[in-house]
Amino acid sequence: MKCEAKTLAIVPAYNEEGSVGGVVKEIRRAYPLANILVINDGSTDLTSEKARQSGGVVLDLPFNLGIGGAMQAGYLYAYEKGYEIAIQVDGDGQHDPGEIPKLIGALMEKKTDMVIGSRFMGKTTYQGSIMRKMGIFVLSRVISTLMGQLITDPTSGFRASNRKAIRLFAFKYPQDYPEPEVMVLFKKSGLTVCEVPVEMKPRYSGESSITKIRSVYYMVKVLLAVFVDIFKEKPSLERRMTDVD
Amino acid sequence: MLIKIQIVIGTLSVLLLFITFELIRKERLREEYSILWIFTGMAIFIVSLWPEFLLSQFFARITGLYYLSAVVLIVFLFLLLIVLHFSVVISDMKQMNRNLAQRQALLQLELDSLQKQLSPPARESP
Repeated sequence: MKCEAKTLAIVPAYNEEGSVGGVVKEIRRAYPLANILVINDGSTDLTSEKARQSGGVVLDLPFNLGIGGAMQAGYLYAYEKGYEIAIQVDGDGQHDPGEIPKLIGALMEKKTDMVIGSRFMGKTTYQGSIMRKMGIFVLSRVISTLMGQLITDPTSGFRASNRKAIRLFAFKYPQDYPEPEVMVLFKKSGLTVCEVPVEMKPRYSGESSITKIRSVYYMVKVLLAVFVDIFKEKPSLERRMTDVD
Repeated sequence: MLIKIQIVIGTLSVLLLFITFELIRKERLREEYSILWIFTGMAIFIVSLWPEFLLSQFFARITGLYYLSAVVLIVFLFLLLIVLHFSVVISDMKQMNRNLAQRQALLQLELDSLQKQLSPPARESP
């Protein structure tokens, strides 16, 4: 195994003082090889301090950029510091860091540019509202059709990326609904993706950005964003990519 | 009837021109936009002085606008374009703003870690 590849765990956190410390410690325990970068997305609570106390490196954004802007900051860091692998782990604690070795293993074995941890592959204990499950199902069909490959959980933010994907994200990362929109970006850029089954935990604290009532509205907006993405130009990063690397 | 509209429109256009000049004087408005607004203000002012022009046969013949409501429509479309233009400007600025915020955070982190390396580990001797 080439497990000594330079690995960065990126933990986006917005007002997650109750959970971010635990997430950092669990990542350290589950995958000690990884450096941990917590992106504090302009939190108004003690997220930054808690993350620091538990031993993470903290990138403090000057104000709230949203998940897209925050993740891109993490990928910029990973790109500029020469990381070979970047793993996204939410700061709210819903992703189990114990699954990180599985994601990285799949990234190495299957030679895809990104691996997504899916809640819906294989036998799952995922407990979500029916509305949300249905929404994700519709989105999954749309994304799968676009990709020409089955993607069961396009909204999962539990992902591992290789250097090629890190480089793409550092220059171009979708801002509104980054998880499903990244799929379209991948298709256009000719990058590959696969999924592995993972368990997700109920959230430690805080509220999901998708509440029950809003889930339908959310899906409509995501689908709109995805359809707009289809008509966007293919990102032209080739020149920039070659002269930086 | 027409004279009342003339006074109202005339006053509004003078007010618009005054506000535009004030904004330029205080450097709150960039020249590329100020020109647009000065022309708009002047055009409205001229129309208020000479409303018969809009109703004249000559105007109707060269523009094909036989009804004043058509003029209103054109003015509306013009304003719509200005608003669209501003949406584009705001989107650009949002992106630049985001890039700056990311860069600032990365530089701050770099600066902090360099400072930590430079400062001797005082009071931490084992």
